[in-house]
Amino acid sequence: MKSKKKQIAITLGIMCLLLVYAIFTQLKTTQNLASTAGSTYRENGLRDEVLKWKEQYDRIYADLENAEEQLEKERQVSISYDDTSVQKQEELKKINTYLGLTDVEGEGIIITLRDNTTSLISSANNLVHDGDLRAVVNELKNNGAEAISINDQRIVPTTAITCAGTVIQVNDEIVGSPFVIKAIGDKNMINNVMRSGGWLDLLTDYGISVEVKKSDNIKINKYNGVLTDKYIETIE
Amino acid sequence: MKKGKGIMTVTIGLVCFVLAYVMFMQFKTVEETNITQIENMRETELSEKLASWKEKYEETALKLQETNTKLQEYKQKRESNQEASELLNQELMQAQTIAGLTNVRGDGIVITYTDNGNSEIDKITYLQLIELVNELRLAGAEAISINDQRIMNMSDIINIDIEGEEFILVNKKRVTSPYVIKAIGDQKYLESALTTKTIGFVTRHSNAILEKRNNITINKYNGEIKIKYATEVVKEEK
Repeated sequence: MKSKKKQIAITLGIMCLLLVYAIFTQLKTTQNLASTAGSTYRENGLRDEVLKWKEQYDRIYADLENAEEQLEKERQVSISYDDTSVQKQEELKKINTYLGLTDVEGEGIIITLRDNTTSLISSANNLVHDGDLRAVVNELKNNGAEAISINDQRIVPTTAITCAGTVIQVNDEIVGSPFVIKAIGDKNMINNVMRSGGWLDLLTDYGISVEVKKSDNIKINKYNGVLTDKYIETIE
Repeated sequence: MKKGKGIMTVTIGLVCFVLAYVMFMQFKTVEETNITQIENMRETELSEKLASWKEKYEETALKLQETNTKLQEYKQKRESNQEASELLNQELMQAQTIAGLTNVRGDGIVITYTDNGNSEIDKITYLQLIELVNELRLAGAEAISINDQRIMNMSDIINIDIEGEEFILVNKKRVTSPYVIKAIGDQKYLESALTTKTIGFVTRHSNAILEKRNNITINKYNGEIKIKYATEVVKEEK
C-alpha cells in the first residue's frame, strides 16, 4: 500500500514537472516571437497608422467609384442625341479600357506559374522572380494582349513589378506563388507564348511549374487606383 | 480515508484539466503569433507602406474632387440646356494625355544609356530596358519614351535576331544605342529613385547617365489603340 502511494506520488510529480516544463517552453516561445515580431511601441503605432490610412483610402475610393458612375450616367443623358459626341464617348471608353480603368471580359489565355517546391536542391532557380513576371507580361503585350492582370492586379501604365527582399509586389501590393496571369486578346497567342525558346519554355526548364490554357471568357477587374496627370501638360 | 481519496482525485483531475487548458491556450497564442508574424512588417517597411497609402489617398481625393466638379458642370449644362460637348472634349483629351496619345511637356529626367565597347556581351539588352522602364514607373513617371518611342500601357520591348545580329524593337520599331530615355514626373523623386545607393538603376549601370531637365517634350504614340477582344463588363443595375 505504501509503495503504491509512493508510485502514484512519483507519477504525479513527473507529470506536474512535465506540464510545468511545457508551459515554460511555451511562454518562452511566445516571448521570443513577440520580441522578434518587433512589437515595439513605435511599430505598433505605425501599424495602426497604416491600417487607418488604408481604411480611409478604401472609403474614398468607394466614393470615387460612386462619383464616376454618376458622371457616366450624367454624361449619357447630357449628350445622347449627338452623333459625334456618341463617338467621342465610345473613344473615351476605349481609352479607359486600354488604360485598365474598366472591368473587362473576353477570350484570352491564363498562365499559372508556381515556385518549384519539390526540388531537393534549394536554389534561386526554383522561384519565380519579378524579372520573370516582367518578361512574361512583356511577351503578352507583344502578342497583342488588351488587358493583363497578375493575381488580380491590373497592369496599367504606372504598374511596376518589383521585388523587396523575398516578396514580389505589383502595383505596390504583395503577390505570391501561384502567380495567375490573365490576358485578354486573341487566344491563339498561346502558340507563340508557349514557343520553344520563349520565356515560359525557359521557366519550365528551370523546374517552375507552368500551366497555360485558352479560355473563351476571362474576366479582368479594373485597376484599384487612379492614374494622374499632375506633371504632364498637353502641347500641340 | 475513502472520502479523502475522492477529493484528492477530483482535485488532481481539476488541476490537470486547468493545466491542459492553459497549455492549449498557449499553443493557440503561439499559432496566432505565427500568423501575425508573417504579416508583421519592420519599421522601414511600415513607413514605406504608410507613405504609399497616404499618397494613394491624396491622389484619389484629388480625382474625386475632379470627378465631382465634372459632374456638376454636366448638370449645370443640362439644366440650362447648353451644349455639353466641350466638357466631353476635355474628358477625352485628359484620357488621351494619360494614355500617351498626345504630345506632352513637363519637368523630369533624361537618361542616356549607351552600349559599352563593341563586344556583343557588353551590349544593352531588351531586358535591361524593360527593367529601366519598370523603375521609372515605380518612381511615378507619367510619360516615358525610349528614342522617341512613347511607352504606352501595352508597349512591348523585344529582341529579335536577324542573321546573327540582335535588334531591339520598341512598339515594333527598331531602336539603337545610345538609348535616350525621357521621363516626366516628380523630378526629385525620379532622380533619387534611380540613383539610390546600390539598388538604383543608374547607380548599378556605369553606362547610364542621368540628367535632370525641365520642359522635356515627349511625343505621342505613332499609332492607334485597338480594342477588339475586351468588352466592358456592364454593372447590373441594382
